[in-house]
Amino acid sequence: MSFRDELGKKLLFFDGAMGTMLQERGLESGELPEIWNVTKEEQILEIHSQYLAAGCDIIKANTFGINPFKMKGTGYTCEELTKKGIEIVRRAIEESGRKAYAALDIGSLGKLLEPLGELSFDDAYEAFKPMCIAGAQSGADLCLIETMNDTYEIKAAVLSAKENTSLPIVVTMVFDEDGKLLTGADMEAAVAMLEGLKVDALGLNCGFGPDVMRKFLPRLREVTSLPIVLNPNAGLPVVVDGKTSFHVGPEEFSSIMKEIALEGVSVMGGCCGTTPAHIRALVETCREIPAMKLTDKQRSVVSSYTHAVALDERPKIIGERINPTGKSRFKQALREHDLEYIYKEALAQQDKGAHILDVNVGLPEIDEVQMMRDVVTGLQGITDLPLQIDTSDPVAMETAMRLYNGKPLLNSVNGKQESMDAVFPLAAKYGGMIVCLTLDENGIPKTAKGRIEIAERIIAEAAKYGIGKKDLLIDTLTMTISTGQENAKITLDALYHVRHVLGVHTTLGVSNISFGLPKREHVNTAFFTIALSKGLSAGIINPNSEAMMAAYHSYCALNGSDSQCADYVAIYAGQEGQAKPQTAQTGEISLYDAVVRGLAESAYQAARKELQTKEPLAVIDGELIPALDKVGQGFEKKTVFLPQLLMSADAAKAGFDAIKEHLLAKGDTSASKGTIVIATVKGDIHDIGKNIVKVLLENYGFQVIDLGKDVPPELVVETAKEHQVKLVGLSALMTTTVANMEETIKLLKQEFPACKVMVGGAVLTQTYADMIGADFYSKDAMGSVRYANELFGG
Amino acid sequence: MKADRKETLRYLGYHGQEMEEQTMQMIEEVAAELEHSSMPKSIYREYGCEVTKETVTLGGLEIKSRNLAVNLKGCERAVLLAATIGRGADFMVKKYSVSNMAKAAVVQAAGAACIESYVDEIEEMIRVDAKKRGLYLRPRFSPGYGDFALDYQRDIFQILECSKRIGVTLTEGNLMMPSKSVTAVIGLTTKERESCQMEKCSLCVKTDCEFRTHSSKKKGE
Repeated sequence: MSFRDELGKKLLFFDGAMGTMLQERGLESGELPEIWNVTKEEQILEIHSQYLAAGCDIIKANTFGINPFKMKGTGYTCEELTKKGIEIVRRAIEESGRKAYAALDIGSLGKLLEPLGELSFDDAYEAFKPMCIAGAQSGADLCLIETMNDTYEIKAAVLSAKENTSLPIVVTMVFDEDGKLLTGADMEAAVAMLEGLKVDALGLNCGFGPDVMRKFLPRLREVTSLPIVLNPNAGLPVVVDGKTSFHVGPEEFSSIMKEIALEGVSVMGGCCGTTPAHIRALVETCREIPAMKLTDKQRSVVSSYTHAVALDERPKIIGERINPTGKSRFKQALREHDLEYIYKEALAQQDKGAHILDVNVGLPEIDEVQMMRDVVTGLQGITDLPLQIDTSDPVAMETAMRLYNGKPLLNSVNGKQESMDAVFPLAAKYGGMIVCLTLDENGIPKTAKGRIEIAERIIAEAAKYGIGKKDLLIDTLTMTISTGQENAKITLDALYHVRHVLGVHTTLGVSNISFGLPKREHVNTAFFTIALSKGLSAGIINPNSEAMMAAYHSYCALNGSDSQCADYVAIYAGQEGQAKPQTAQTGEISLYDAVVRGLAESAYQAARKELQTKEPLAVIDGELIPALDKVGQGFEKKTVFLPQLLMSADAAKAGFDAIKEHLLAKGDTSASKGTIVIATVKGDIHDIGKNIVKVLLENYGFQVIDLGKDVPPELVVETAKEHQVKLVGLSALMTTTVANMEETIKLLKQEFPACKVMVGGAVLTQTYADMIGADFYSKDAMGSVRYANELFGG
Repeated sequence: MKADRKETLRYLGYHGQEMEEQTMQMIEEVAAELEHSSMPKSIYREYGCEVTKETVTLGGLEIKSRNLAVNLKGCERAVLLAATIGRGADFMVKKYSVSNMAKAAVVQAAGAACIESYVDEIEEMIRVDAKKRGLYLRPRFSPGYGDFALDYQRDIFQILECSKRIGVTLTEGNLMMPSKSVTAVIGLTTKERESCQMEKCSLCVKTDCEFRTHSSKKKGE
């Protein structure tokens, strides 16, 4: 019998703490415990032997803290310490004469991943790799990924273990008192992702004693179909004189664990503070209790890094706006790699109530794989909505799925064998719900029956990959009624059948229905409402359409899924009698005033109005720039403070957006005053100051290449040379990183002396700036605008 | 934990300028959103400590810093502390840097106010507990202040297990992520009169700082 065979069939027992035992044996605070695998092998062996004698089935090797970052400078490699760690467990098991499993124990890297941290997902994956490979080669029976508090890091570890070994994978996480990981992820989100990745078991460890952990279990049992592992501490840590101890004794520990076992769990053991005595009591008390019965919970969920979205009785909104089809402004953004434009579309849809965002960034003339990588990474930094990865390129799809922090929705597979052969293996590996289009090699069937047959074929094919109906979302395809009035009925009949007879969730790209008709929203809204009542699980729509969202909220109130109409009331109460106050107001306010007062929407509308009669340049020079100047001067004289300056900057930006759209509609592209490269220097991660400078420079008509934060000197120089820019702006906030600023300036002066450098940041002063060779010190954002204007003669 | 509105305004460089109603309302909204999305967590440990003229030794760690040694002079015990308000602030800054720069700046300021007030709360707990034992607190002192090198973050993080316990990590350059986090050493003294709370700004060498509190500025500035 292997670990996989036994898991879930009978209650299995992990051992207890290693760190606690080592401290008793003289491990110093700050000393790396894993080095003892080499220096004090017998001590480690003895601890394992004690746990085996106590009756546990699984021994965690002393490998928890091993990773390339911690091992740097210790003189030991990850490989040798891991290998040694597993070997000691194997030896202990052999000497005990018992049957037990050796677990390769993998902990957190102790680094924060992108987008907040500096460690990329790929680098995290690589960092886990040496332990996985060495562990498997040395004879581990399973891989335990434990004490994790970030789903993204977990995903990197799981993929590393999956792709480099064939070991069963168990993941245990630390939730706080609110049932959340440190990243803010709830249990549902973590479970959705882990089940998608097909780990063998999941659960909780560390953080709390068994009494507190017990409270999380009912919810966990409800949402997971996998075996549950529980390794609590011996109570909460108590610190006396800098030393940590745990006060729940073996008796108390095992009696609470017994109750938990009776309620249902698959594997139990201990974390911090538990000893062989705890494990002995635990095994003796719980040995005869059967393991929790496993049942498929049949949940249809996708997830983001914070939460899961379940497809259920309450229909969901998939926002369709991140898609270049038919949108020239969006296409331009893709061509110019203007990701901010895309992010704004995301945030606007989230504000309007979308639950999931479709992401389609394909254009023939761009590198879709790279774009998908950039956009998915970027979106995960600014929105916590689950994403629907929308591409026909399997490489782009896999790239996005790999980098996605959660369980995505995939758009799409269809009845063509080629399509199913490409998409299902990806879904089986990374997890995800899949939109299935009911078309095949012969095109789109003209009957409901034909589409249902394709749906059935897709369901059968998915099953071959172990993908159940719960993870499918069938699209019975909306065709416009302008070319055939029976089209609506065909789609809806098929949809009804799929949802109610086949028992599979459904989706539709709703607005296609009205293609070629006037006042499309009328038809769209009616069709959407009918589709919802026929069993539409998730509509792909434009959430910015007020009428569509009103239809949606009304439907939820009517079908009872909006309990007590609470959401409906929350959204629409108090809106009565408000005859769109903003638009009424915007008619009266000038562009100049709108910018000075920081009213973005008004500025946009006013600019559009002005453009009907004036040339773009006249609007810029006559209104936008004077308004910005006024606010900017106020800021320098300290009569206007920062948020007001920035509100005006945002309003001006909205005005410029209107101009950009206007020019684009005429086939023009706007000319810039000049290009400036800006960056926060290497080692520094504070970029808000730099971002403020960027917004203002752009307002004044400069094209800004923003290299981001933590930028190496070489990249700054390379970019400046490549674009032959006249000016580079550098920001540094810390005394420690000013050195890197100096280095960047030195390299730039050496390689590209024609280029000027302006610097800014909290710790800088004029003296300091002179000392490091900067051409200009800007004490605030307006200063940089003044200098740029002088330099470019604007 | 709260983002003190007055402090938030100070960090935003507010000097009593005329402010439109909508600006104040925006600041209020953003501060409230930040408070809601924060997940404050902290860890602290008390150790015996030895202080010489230039070094402080506590929890097995020897710190070479004249300024810290002055700060802890006469203390036989000290607390190592780490605290964070979590990743909410960083995510909000990212989000608003795209959609609304003014709000991004407010998050930055309110986040600074939040972490300060949170550390004040923890310090208060330590103060109450210490007082029972006849001990008084010295002002907290963090790596990066004066000659207390940022490199000691590495050691403090290892001793307090910051990444595992409160989810704070260090970058290559020893900066903390999430960014709204604090580590500090707090000396405990038996002499009450030596525990007076100094204005933090008065310790800082950057005298022309925009955000320097008025009470620590020289007259006439």
